[in-house]
Amino acid sequence: VAENNMECNSVVDGNVEEVPSKKVIKFNPPLYKQRYQFVKNLVEQHQPKKVADLGCGDVCLLAILKYQKCVEELVGVDINEGKLKWNGSRLSPCVGDHLDPRELDLAITLYHGSVLEKDCRLLGFDLAACIELIEHFDSEDLGKFPEVVFGYMSPTMIVISTPNSEFNSLFPCVVFRDSDHKFEWNRMQFQTWALDVASRYNYSVEFTGVGEPPTGAEDVGYCTQIGVFRKKAEAAELAILEHHGEHVYEVVYTTSYPSLQQINYRRRVVVYLVYREVSRLRQKYQASLRQHELEPEFVACGNRTGKFTSDLPVPVLTEDDKAMEMAPQPFCIEDKFYVPLQRIIAYPRLGHLCGNVEKLREFLGDVIELNCDGSAVKVDLNDCSDF
Amino acid sequence: MTGRARVHARGRRRDTPSSEPAQPEATRGCPVPRVPRTDPPLSFADLVRRGTAAQQPHQIQPRLQPLTGVRHVSGAGPPAGAEATSQPSEEHQLASGSQGSLLRKKTDVGRDYRDFVVNTRQNLVHVRESTKGTQGSPVMLFSNHVRLKSCSQRHLYKYNVTYTPDIEDGRKREAFLSELEKLLGNRCVYDGNSLLLPHSLGETKKEVVSKLKNEPVKITFELSRELQTTSPDCLRYYNILFKKMLEKMDLNQIGRNYYNKNKKAEFNEHRLEIWPGYVTSILPCEIGLTLCADVSHKLLRMETAYDLISHTREEARGEDAKEKILRKLVGSSVLTKYNNRTYRVDDIIWEMSPSSTFTKSDGSEISFVDYYKERYGTVVTTLNQPLLITKGKWKKSRQDTTHQPIMLVPELCHLTGLTDDMRKDYRMMRDLCTHTRMDPERRQRKLLTFVDALRKNNTVQKELRDWNLELEAGFLSFSGRTLQDVRIHQGRRMVRFDNHKADWSKNTREVPLLRAVSLDHWLIVYTKGNYGTALTLQQNLQKVTPKMGVTVRNAKLLEADDTVQSYIRTLEKHASQNTQMVLFLLPTDNKEIYDGIKRYLCINYPIPSQCVLKRTLDRPKTPVTIATKIALQMNCKLGGALWKVDIGLQNAMFIGIDCFHDIERRRKSVAGFVASIDPDLTRWFSQCIIQQSGQELVKGLTTCLYTALKLWYEQNSSLPRSIIVYRDGVGDGQLQALIDQEVKQMESYLENAYRGQKVRLTFIVVKKRINTRFFIEKDGGRLNNPSPGTVIDLKVTRTEWYDFFIVSQSVREGTGAVSPTHYNVIHDTLQLSPDAVQGLTYKLCHMYYNFSGIIRVPAPCHYAHKLAYLVGQSLHQQPHESLSKSLFYL
Repeated sequence: VAENNMECNSVVDGNVEEVPSKKVIKFNPPLYKQRYQFVKNLVEQHQPKKVADLGCGDVCLLAILKYQKCVEELVGVDINEGKLKWNGSRLSPCVGDHLDPRELDLAITLYHGSVLEKDCRLLGFDLAACIELIEHFDSEDLGKFPEVVFGYMSPTMIVISTPNSEFNSLFPCVVFRDSDHKFEWNRMQFQTWALDVASRYNYSVEFTGVGEPPTGAEDVGYCTQIGVFRKKAEAAELAILEHHGEHVYEVVYTTSYPSLQQINYRRRVVVYLVYREVSRLRQKYQASLRQHELEPEFVACGNRTGKFTSDLPVPVLTEDDKAMEMAPQPFCIEDKFYVPLQRIIAYPRLGHLCGNVEKLREFLGDVIELNCDGSAVKVDLNDCSDF
Repeated sequence: MTGRARVHARGRRRDTPSSEPAQPEATRGCPVPRVPRTDPPLSFADLVRRGTAAQQPHQIQPRLQPLTGVRHVSGAGPPAGAEATSQPSEEHQLASGSQGSLLRKKTDVGRDYRDFVVNTRQNLVHVRESTKGTQGSPVMLFSNHVRLKSCSQRHLYKYNVTYTPDIEDGRKREAFLSELEKLLGNRCVYDGNSLLLPHSLGETKKEVVSKLKNEPVKITFELSRELQTTSPDCLRYYNILFKKMLEKMDLNQIGRNYYNKNKKAEFNEHRLEIWPGYVTSILPCEIGLTLCADVSHKLLRMETAYDLISHTREEARGEDAKEKILRKLVGSSVLTKYNNRTYRVDDIIWEMSPSSTFTKSDGSEISFVDYYKERYGTVVTTLNQPLLITKGKWKKSRQDTTHQPIMLVPELCHLTGLTDDMRKDYRMMRDLCTHTRMDPERRQRKLLTFVDALRKNNTVQKELRDWNLELEAGFLSFSGRTLQDVRIHQGRRMVRFDNHKADWSKNTREVPLLRAVSLDHWLIVYTKGNYGTALTLQQNLQKVTPKMGVTVRNAKLLEADDTVQSYIRTLEKHASQNTQMVLFLLPTDNKEIYDGIKRYLCINYPIPSQCVLKRTLDRPKTPVTIATKIALQMNCKLGGALWKVDIGLQNAMFIGIDCFHDIERRRKSVAGFVASIDPDLTRWFSQCIIQQSGQELVKGLTTCLYTALKLWYEQNSSLPRSIIVYRDGVGDGQLQALIDQEVKQMESYLENAYRGQKVRLTFIVVKKRINTRFFIEKDGGRLNNPSPGTVIDLKVTRTEWYDFFIVSQSVREGTGAVSPTHYNVIHDTLQLSPDAVQGLTYKLCHMYYNFSGIIRVPAPCHYAHKLAYLVGQSLHQQPHESLSKSLFYL
């Protein structure tokens, strides 16, 4: 529904001839990207868990938002089913998402349906984006819109963008930016409407926009005007969640992402990191042994940096590394090499993933061999076939 | 917007003049041995006088040459995932990543399907009636093809789509069309440039304006053709259609195929996963369209390129760390986790780090760290890592196009495929093999479940119905023929062997060789501490050779250090004019050393050589078997002959051609050319043609042909009456070019050489990499592999071709499904009947001296392959001429 503007009107037809005095305005980055960026910034700033894009069109915005770590549920709604079907697969998790799962769960669903219909699956959202949506409504639909989105869905935050008609004077075309636009408002009109809606449904609203006017024409304001609505009182309405169970929308596409919340993925990442850490430590240990053999009088193993060529990046000791130096050190008994779990857990990422040694031991389970009292990982000292 | 960080803005499809990529390998390749003398110490005559044979036991070198006989002969091959490194990934990436379809390039459209429209049979008068043979005993077979019936006679409409102004981004091109649903309906298949519709747009040329975001674009649809539903022109679209359907079945696209994440197997110890999946393609066959489905496995690794770098750096601890890292990483494929793309690493920039900046497509500068943070929310944790460079897609057909290089952050790149180190890990390979190998029964059952799921899936059903297509239940079954066993003659004896095992090594042990060459002057070079092993090997050789009719005198045993320099110094000191053979007892499997030795002994100082890994000899159970195999291989390299078969065609020269592309390092391609120069096919002339990287079609065949004919004339005092060429390594879509260039080149040269006399030339294209499989039903209904010698020339062959399949190998029970080989006779003035060409081809599969058994391709093909591989992998330049009549490349 949303994206059919011509702000960056290029020299398509002869229009430029008619208005030679006006330069063709081009935004960099393009205006539609600026709008997405605006929503993305909002998400980064407010860390919503559940985000809906109403009138999601070709799912571009969702494809951007799926990389946001805080988001756990993404929903797109549009009346153009074909577009949703066509683009749905863009949102599916790819191989990398399996190999390196995200921290939190993420489910993405695309619904075919109208924003003007109530569906209980859209309740309880933290953010709803209506980017370039309202100008496609005729007056009747526009009348219904606040009741559904503000009244029924009632998300914590709503962002609405729409063209600013004052800016149109800078464009060669005289009428609306898109043939499907039913209206284009100036700032006054939009703000009046917005303030009215906000007060009716107990929201606050702030106005801003994207697409800076060119120098000399600052008074026309942003090319796209944006209203950011925030719900004032929350506690009162919690009760309506989960009720009114009507499913009007049709699910066109749905997917869920692997995440570290899922135990099998978490275990796999833990095992991988433990292997990596153990193999690194063992390698270091072997190196120090060799060093010892080659130059018996030169025992200090930290001194081999001298052998590096100067332009090869040398690992720098970080705070984390220093912390780990404090943890119990790996040791060797005969041809077995042991790394204490205490030492492994000191590695920040693993500490974060496991929390404590018991949990770590549980994760390693029967996958990695431990010593008899289960306090250290046990591997062959000389098995080097791991890379 | 692309997901990869481009060094310079918008690098796609800008044809820049072909510049030789700065090849870092040149400096870090194998050390070039010092060249003491340029004159070949051996005269040509020496070589011939000495000349006779031996064959290499295939256990000996498997580590030195990743592509040894083993894999070809035993057929099971590596797990499919391992192929990731050698397969440039392909056009129809419909899935994920906003630029997934960038690859759908205009120039490449339909490359894979181009061959199907080439009708080669129309010129072959003698098979106009039928291409089917009759010999052999009939056998009932199942295939892995499912018939795709077309239920309607209605036409389909193909439109070419052009954009004004032009849009390059494939996804954008598609998005513009998605805006036109009203006009196009929801049933259309778009391949990036053209559109297949089940209905007409009314006019032959239709222009519409579609608007997306801020750009209106004029789109012109021009009717290209009306098509029958079964036309080969539709194949491309049907394949796209099927890919979309597979996506709907919750399969993930990786590279060209689709994999099921829900059924993956994890190998925690090795930090990798195997995803099972399917290879599917719609193929036009004699009986109509079929869906050919096969099982495939994808190997994914948790490790990132940065893991590898830091590990190697730790391990090396010295000046050569960089070099080691380069060697390990360059040429390997990496998968970028954020956008699901695979790239081949071409180089590493040490001077740059993730904090370095690049120019985005909008012209702004941004650091890699910020870019990934901003775009994908991915945090790069290590700032002091170098960057990887990839030069973009490599396509056989487009070497003159270079792309702007792309830089990647190692930490964000997952390694893919198996490394050589991993292949050396027997334990791990065993784990993987048990998982990926599937016997016919399991395989077919799995495929059946898959096809069933396809048929039962509602979306798929609906989609198919919309196109008036119907997938039949069950796999195609038909009758094939098993050819008569081939007789092996060794000396005066005929060897009997169990045809089903396709191996006569046990049966020939007690029999003298067809042509034995005695070993009088030879060297064994060993390293410190291995004197005993060397001595035992010599004794064992002397124990096994008398029965073969070979005399092996004591060798000069020489100790050397395990470095190329030391080996060469030893040779300089001890090798002489008389030296027939040098045997190296190598302590480790090191490609550099192997390459160094081979380079020296094939180019600078041509003596046949034999490398044996110490590890192979250490296995206690098999010293005699191994000694036998080494003895046979050495005998072949010296010009001996092991056995012969009765080919049944008088005075015919057989030629094998194969190409080796060093895709990994993008070196030049090598075409190997071998030609038989005696009627019994025991002597082979060999020559290489080194050409531009990736070039498949061999130019300069005439010089090879000239020398081969000259040698034949010297040997037989006449020219061969007929010439039969087996051509392997032909890429998809090159059939027409092959006919127009190679065949023509050869024909016109031969006409000249024969001064107008009619030369009879048969040109057969050999294809190993096919997904078609055949099975027989054993008692009790279990599926099994067909016996060697099974020929299929109906139903799944093509009406427009003179083609057939032969299953020539044997696969041990329970280890896997045997792969048939496809043969396509594209030129045949010899007018071989189907029976004749099938029989001939099968017999030639018995003539490869490096394996006492039947192999997958005719011997000349495999000789050509071995030659091209040795030259491409180790020598990188033409081997010395004096070796050209021996099988030194075995």
